[in-house]
Amino acid sequence: MTDQHLLAMHHSEVQVSVELETPDVTLNLGPQHPSTHGVLRLIAKVDGEVINEVEPVIGYMHRGYEKLAEVRTYPQIVALVSRIDWVSGYASEVPLMVAVERLMDIVPPDRAQYIRLVLTEMARISSHLVFLSSYPLELGAPTPLMHALRERERILDLIEMVTGGRFHPNFNRVGGVKPAAGAGSNQKKVVQDLPEGFLGQTLAAIQDVVGVCDDMEDLVLGNEIFLERTKGVGIIPVDKALAYGVSGPNLRASGVRFDIRKTDDYLPYDGFDFDIPAGENGDCFDRYWVRLQEIREASKIIRQAVETMPSGDLQAKVPRIIKVPKGEVYVRAENPKGEMGYHVVSEGGRGPYRLKIRSASFSNLSVLPWLLKGQLVPDIIAILGSLDFVLGDVDR
Amino acid sequence: MTESPPEAPAPSAAAGLAERFGEMVGALSATGDFGTARIRVSPDRWVETHRTLAEHLPFFSFLSAIDWAGEVAVGDPPEGDVEERFEVFTRLSDVSKGEGVIVSTDLSKEDPRLATLVEVFGGANWHEREAHEMFGIFFEGHPHLENLYLPDGFEGHPLRKTFPLLSREVKPWPGMVDVEDMPTTENVEAGEPEAGEEGE
Repeated sequence: MTDQHLLAMHHSEVQVSVELETPDVTLNLGPQHPSTHGVLRLIAKVDGEVINEVEPVIGYMHRGYEKLAEVRTYPQIVALVSRIDWVSGYASEVPLMVAVERLMDIVPPDRAQYIRLVLTEMARISSHLVFLSSYPLELGAPTPLMHALRERERILDLIEMVTGGRFHPNFNRVGGVKPAAGAGSNQKKVVQDLPEGFLGQTLAAIQDVVGVCDDMEDLVLGNEIFLERTKGVGIIPVDKALAYGVSGPNLRASGVRFDIRKTDDYLPYDGFDFDIPAGENGDCFDRYWVRLQEIREASKIIRQAVETMPSGDLQAKVPRIIKVPKGEVYVRAENPKGEMGYHVVSEGGRGPYRLKIRSASFSNLSVLPWLLKGQLVPDIIAILGSLDFVLGDVDR
Repeated sequence: MTESPPEAPAPSAAAGLAERFGEMVGALSATGDFGTARIRVSPDRWVETHRTLAEHLPFFSFLSAIDWAGEVAVGDPPEGDVEERFEVFTRLSDVSKGEGVIVSTDLSKEDPRLATLVEVFGGANWHEREAHEMFGIFFEGHPHLENLYLPDGFEGHPLRKTFPLLSREVKPWPGMVDVEDMPTTENVEAGEPEAGEEGE
């Protein structure tokens, strides 16, 4: 210890009134940390409690699907894409199939489109229920988790009933959907339709899901601690959201009433009556509230689809070998996390020459360095969690 | 299938959209095939084009690239002759009517450089870093052009067509042991030419 240090200690009483210097400290979060939803690492430079700079480090889950797609046929790629966002695996399969169908000029039968639509909305409910329950958990409230995951399990059971898989259905084919679970290779000529009792059980489950939404509103939205931690925290203004490609519920929370289901026609949504919930402030609370309302809207869509489910074939006539004519197409869908799109470049082969996967979480997360600047350290988790990303969807 | 698919927008709509935005920025070409509006611009007008379009299409969807190569290490080569180049493309859209357009430009393989879009769209930052490591395209003026996914010191650019997929070099199709031979054009066309409702 030098004389100067000793001197400083002697004069410590005097120095208390002087503002303490807090030099930049580097704070590392993750990649292994429950609050990071997988393997995300954040390197934060903090000055006391204030964040000066954040650098997200991603790529721990990078599986190179865009490269793998180049050596696979289109039906094989379906098995890959349901692993991009595993919380709503089914939803990622649909836009890819629609893209291939557009290039081949194939229209799936109505019944197949309705089944796709019902399963997509189920994936949305299941994904949002995970968010609605895990987000309060991150803020210290474990009870909502039990309520939401109980109903999510029923939705997953229904998805499994039809597709045979809970997370990775791999249920779509070019021109329609697969025969339901149970028809194996040994009974090729038997086309199974939706399992018996599926539609009735769906209606019952939807009713309970709406019930759990009411529970969540009581449990969470009125909770004073939850309000304190989310209201006015992590505001994304509209112009930033658009420039960063923030989409889906995160964009709608900022007040933009835009939904790809209303403008694009990858599935027959135009015949359905549903609203687009939008927030006002673009803070963490609005992002939570919007997703809660979206479950109600998805329930409305499923109810209408079940009641008007057309009969008919599950698949259009397609060549035995799927060869896609030369061309480029971009098809996007309103996935639970936001805009999910596939840019398919076909050179006339059985697989794509290039497949660009536009995943929602990647763009949603890319706003983080801007968003966290100047925020407080305890708000990192609140803001991070409110974006509802999945690392598989970020890294692809 | 003779009738046009009801879920695809009328071809003229996309073509009209491409025409309209193409005129706005002086595009080299504007097409609307398969319901996808696309315009092509020259690389030196890249940033200017996006700045103009941003006023009408403020939503930045993505930026990526295509490696057009006659000889490929993975997958099938393109049909016929192809001009060796990198094609960088972005997609911009609005958030009211659902209009959108793909903007692309061609870069030479010898020295693929393009001005960064970070000043126009903040979201281009990560997308350009991805295109940089995956294709080796250099974005001039980018504030932090470092690897996004790949570890430091990774050699090569994985999404280039010359980059081999090592697992496929070792074993052409690993799924073969599980079930049956992959259907090839030859053995299927010799057998059943077309299947019924079940597809492949």
